[in-house]
Amino acid sequence: QLQQQHVACQVLPERLAEGKPGQGFLSSFFTNNQKCQLMLLKTLETNPYVKLLLDAMKHSGCAVNRERHFSCEDCNGNVSGGFDASTSQIVLCQNNIRNQAHMNRVVTHELIHAFDHCRAHVNWFTDVRHLACSEVRAANLSGDCSLINEIFRLHFGLKQHHQTCVRDRAILSILAVRNISKEVAQKAVDEVFESCFNDHEPFGRIPHNKTYARYAHRDFQNRDRYYSN
Amino acid sequence: MADGGGWRPPRPCEVYRAEWKLCRSARHFLHHYYVHGERPACEQWRRDLASCREWEERRSAEAQRSLCESERARVQATRKHTLVWALRQSPPADWHLPLPQEEKDQ
Repeated sequence: QLQQQHVACQVLPERLAEGKPGQGFLSSFFTNNQKCQLMLLKTLETNPYVKLLLDAMKHSGCAVNRERHFSCEDCNGNVSGGFDASTSQIVLCQNNIRNQAHMNRVVTHELIHAFDHCRAHVNWFTDVRHLACSEVRAANLSGDCSLINEIFRLHFGLKQHHQTCVRDRAILSILAVRNISKEVAQKAVDEVFESCFNDHEPFGRIPHNKTYARYAHRDFQNRDRYYSN
Repeated sequence: MADGGGWRPPRPCEVYRAEWKLCRSARHFLHHYYVHGERPACEQWRRDLASCREWEERRSAEAQRSLCESERARVQATRKHTLVWALRQSPPADWHLPLPQEEKDQ
């Protein structure tokens, strides 16, 4: 359950000065760092959400290099990861990401922030509305708010519950990185919600599962054909 | 776009069929209801599939017009909300720069 409380940070206000590789409590061959690296590799090579995002970023001039743009580190609290706009790097919290499915979701979430950083002038540090917008998009499009994930969090709701989840998680993510009140965060999310919830780039739709993500990737690869009409 | 020579539908017919099938599936109904609180509308995919097949069989000008209009409407629907931020003309200058030295030393 601890895992389900993890919130992805948009920008980590401070990264641990010295990360040391965590040691699993269970007997395992690998350190947390090695596990993180292995899971990341698998995500980058096989996950359809991530493959589309990588393609889209390359198309926007921000080709992603695993060694340069990803870092597995120990993090404070129960944060899963973050996008550090000042260094153009995605931080993955090796002490908090426990399985492949979680890694898939965290990488997708952070790549959405990176994609926004690449294609738009996002004032991460000076405009909470911009931050809110990227968090709404990331919660909406990464699978964070899928029905299954919400059930695991014991949040039960069906009709339009997805939108409630997106709002709530966006607010949580903002509060994790900004020293502002919940009311201010909520107001920012409310102001940008209509626009940002409906901005599905680069997916073109809300990818509810891998099938949708694969269809979205196919559409992205054929976009010249659509737009020429 | 006006003449038929060299034109082809925005999507292959199999893609229209796949989208229509997905749209009508029980799973999609659940996903759509979960997000929007209402049932999905799949009729346009069915119409597009029919137009696509008509184009393939008879090169119908009406089918071509219908497909173009449908795709244009889809593109317009994605652009109807004003963006919160300004789009870049070029990627961030520091995206590919090496990390600061102290990061590299860790």
